[in-house]
Amino acid sequence: MTTKLLMGNEAFAWAALMAGVNVVAGYPGTPSSELVETVARLHAQGIARDVHVEWSTNEKAALEVAAGASYCGARALFTCKQVGLNVASDALMSLNYVGIGGGLVLFVADDPGPISSQTEQDTRRFAAFAKVPVLDPATPEEGFAMMQQAFELSERYHTPVIVRPTTRICHASTFFDLPEFTQARPLPPEGFQKDPKWVIFPKRSFEAHGEVNRRLPRIAWDYAFQPEYARFNVIEEGDSQPSDLSPRVGVVTGGVSTQYAREALALLRQWAAEAGIALPPLRHLAVGTPHPFPVEAAAKFAEGLQDVIVFEELDSVLEEELLKLAGQRHMPLRVSGKLTGEAPDRGENSTEVLAQRLARFLDRTSPKPLELSQLVENRLADSATDPYAGPLPVRPPVLCAGCPHRGSFFAIKQALGKTPAVFCGDIGCYTLGNAKPLDAVDTCLCMGAGITMAQGFATVQPGAKNIAFVGDSTFFASALTGIANAVYNGHDITVAVLDNATTAMTGSQPHPGTGLTLMGEQRKPLVIEEVLKALGVGCITFANPHNLDEATTAAREAIEFNGPSAIIFRAPCIQLKKPDEPVVINGSTCTGCKKCIASIGCPAIGFDPTAAGPRSGARGQAFIDTSLCDGCGLCVQVCPFDAIEGPVPAPYGIPRICELGVTVADSILHSDEPTGSFPPVSLDGETPAEAEEGIDD
Amino acid sequence: MINILLAGVGGQGTVLAAKVLAKAAQSKGWQVRTAETIGMAQRGGSVTSHVRMGSDGEAVQAPLVTKGTADVVIAFEPGEAARALLYLAPEGVLVTATSAIQPVTAALAGAPYNGEAVVSALQQSVAGSTVRFVPVDDQALVAAAGNRKALNMMLLAVAVAQNRIPLTIDELKAAVAACVKPQFVTMNLKAIDEAVASA
Repeated sequence: MTTKLLMGNEAFAWAALMAGVNVVAGYPGTPSSELVETVARLHAQGIARDVHVEWSTNEKAALEVAAGASYCGARALFTCKQVGLNVASDALMSLNYVGIGGGLVLFVADDPGPISSQTEQDTRRFAAFAKVPVLDPATPEEGFAMMQQAFELSERYHTPVIVRPTTRICHASTFFDLPEFTQARPLPPEGFQKDPKWVIFPKRSFEAHGEVNRRLPRIAWDYAFQPEYARFNVIEEGDSQPSDLSPRVGVVTGGVSTQYAREALALLRQWAAEAGIALPPLRHLAVGTPHPFPVEAAAKFAEGLQDVIVFEELDSVLEEELLKLAGQRHMPLRVSGKLTGEAPDRGENSTEVLAQRLARFLDRTSPKPLELSQLVENRLADSATDPYAGPLPVRPPVLCAGCPHRGSFFAIKQALGKTPAVFCGDIGCYTLGNAKPLDAVDTCLCMGAGITMAQGFATVQPGAKNIAFVGDSTFFASALTGIANAVYNGHDITVAVLDNATTAMTGSQPHPGTGLTLMGEQRKPLVIEEVLKALGVGCITFANPHNLDEATTAAREAIEFNGPSAIIFRAPCIQLKKPDEPVVINGSTCTGCKKCIASIGCPAIGFDPTAAGPRSGARGQAFIDTSLCDGCGLCVQVCPFDAIEGPVPAPYGIPRICELGVTVADSILHSDEPTGSFPPVSLDGETPAEAEEGIDD
Repeated sequence: MINILLAGVGGQGTVLAAKVLAKAAQSKGWQVRTAETIGMAQRGGSVTSHVRMGSDGEAVQAPLVTKGTADVVIAFEPGEAARALLYLAPEGVLVTATSAIQPVTAALAGAPYNGEAVVSALQQSVAGSTVRFVPVDDQALVAAAGNRKALNMMLLAVAVAQNRIPLTIDELKAAVAACVKPQFVTMNLKAIDEAVASA
């Protein structure tokens, strides 16, 4: 045993490995990605033995890989973020009817806030819709226990099981005791057993639906009474209360709100005691198994209570279950929460917000005046420091200095000039192309949507050019059917593939276009231009996005093509390379015109109003933050006065494919390294940039 | 309970600093929780790391520091110190690097934000209060240590030297040695000595 500081997602990975998981498949997405990366790292280090781990091309692929493995008796784990489950839902819905072989767990990370997501959807709700059990940890430690128990639950009832942490569980760290190594569970020697039950037909679906409906109440019963599950549903009686008084009020919490509520209750007790206020006795139910709802545990909790308030992030799942319980059993129980406006309807909860809401709730439900709300407001005000009244920089996330996407967006806009155009964006770092001055993302809906939405625009607004941006990972995840649709239905769109050789936004994961797998094999990468050509895209151009001339020419050529066309902008993410020498502003030629700043908005270019030179006078001059500048050379090409000095990256000079049937140069199609001199990605999860900083795991 | 908030700009090394504090707390036998902002915010945005230590042997419940309860705020940049100020407890310690990192939006607006103005506004905000304000000339520290990469460890050292966190510089050093790669240990420990000497 060793003790290590683990981030929640690392702890989930260890827990699954300790449960003997055989196959782990997922698709990256914040806040879920570190689980798969941890398994891959431990496998590469020889610590996680006999496990298969992969980044699948998308969530649907990942869940189906996991399902196949499970049918053979393997324990399988699928991972994604909340919106990833939308992609995998087709598989999940029928998988629950078909059932599983070896334990199959879906790790789906929700993102209240949202902090890095497009929706605040609630996977507990999704679990209820799909009729699968879900576990909802309040801490990384509880998540660690739940992940191991989830495999048992899955095999006990032949059901997929969802483990649903939220960002504050996934990205919170604490210490864990860990074994020296983990061993995947031996596979059953009989392997996959052929049986009609594996083939979903309407008649079988009807039977299976009955099985699903019958097992859910049994699972709910286990959640309430079987100790290995009931430990996740905890009833806490307030310890400082007079024992002869049984509580009339209660609080119900789920997920991380349980921890906020525990802390808020402790604060309330302390503050009330200091103010000489007697708090009414209060009972707390922490629900770790929201679906199927542990009805009997909740009924026991609700005994004798008149009023409860529910704190949960995202949807009112627990609140509705309590209302249902109260209705079914004719309980004289009033349930408060999101539906009554007494708990925040969205976003994250916090200790202070729960302290305020609890105080209001206790004031409202107390037979005699408590004035707790005022006390809490006063105490919170007491602890507030004087507000800061000075200037505050706004610091929105931006494309990194040297990011190749900057040149791609700028070249497209240069190529278009005043031609009307709609820019359909997608999910990834390049969504940040919407910021000024690039202002090159008009829409962002979901993974892969840019390409197909552009076709809708092209249909209805044929007068404008319709450009869809897609990253290399998203290309393989969800762009292919959209491109096939454009070719089939003849939509005049231009797809700009921003190929930076990694899944950058989620932390530099490999994908089919890089050829590196999480098992450590280097396969022949899937070549984007080959795929585009095979799908029938009639014009494909290439450019080095750091070479403005080539990038603009390539963009113009593709945009002017009538029919589906594509530009491949190819240069590595700066996280994959060592920085080049920073560029230099020549003080004797800089005029202070700010063209560089207003054109490309690179974070490494600042403006110093006090700088003076022969051509800028007192206007000020641009300056380069050499700690940020990556030396990409884009600004060198943008400056109209040649006042920025540094090397300009060479064009690729790759021939274009502008007519169907024209053969692409062999050197491009059959190169194992289409991305040229990209540095290798290491499997220990460390980027060259991190290695520089000396960050250890 | 000791609450520490680390605030900076993506890429400044707040995550490693939080790890080092967690390791130091764990070595004392305390329960510790940390929480990070990861994802879109990393791209040049504001980032925070929350570190909570059960320094009296108590359990740590919530992963995040409650506003107005941070014993120490360690800011890697003055604008981020200002943004994090509402987390500081009335008698807390505010350690901040004084060099501004310009957001791209400031250059676009043609109005670079002035780090000195932020530092003096911070000074005014805490003037007459019980907050201890510790501005750190990070450029001088970096010059003394000869390596900007160790700035995060130097700011930790300055914060520990304020005697608000019940950890010693030696305990901090031991945690650093356990958390950074062997080839970077000497450089970081030397930087910590420089920081303590200047504090």
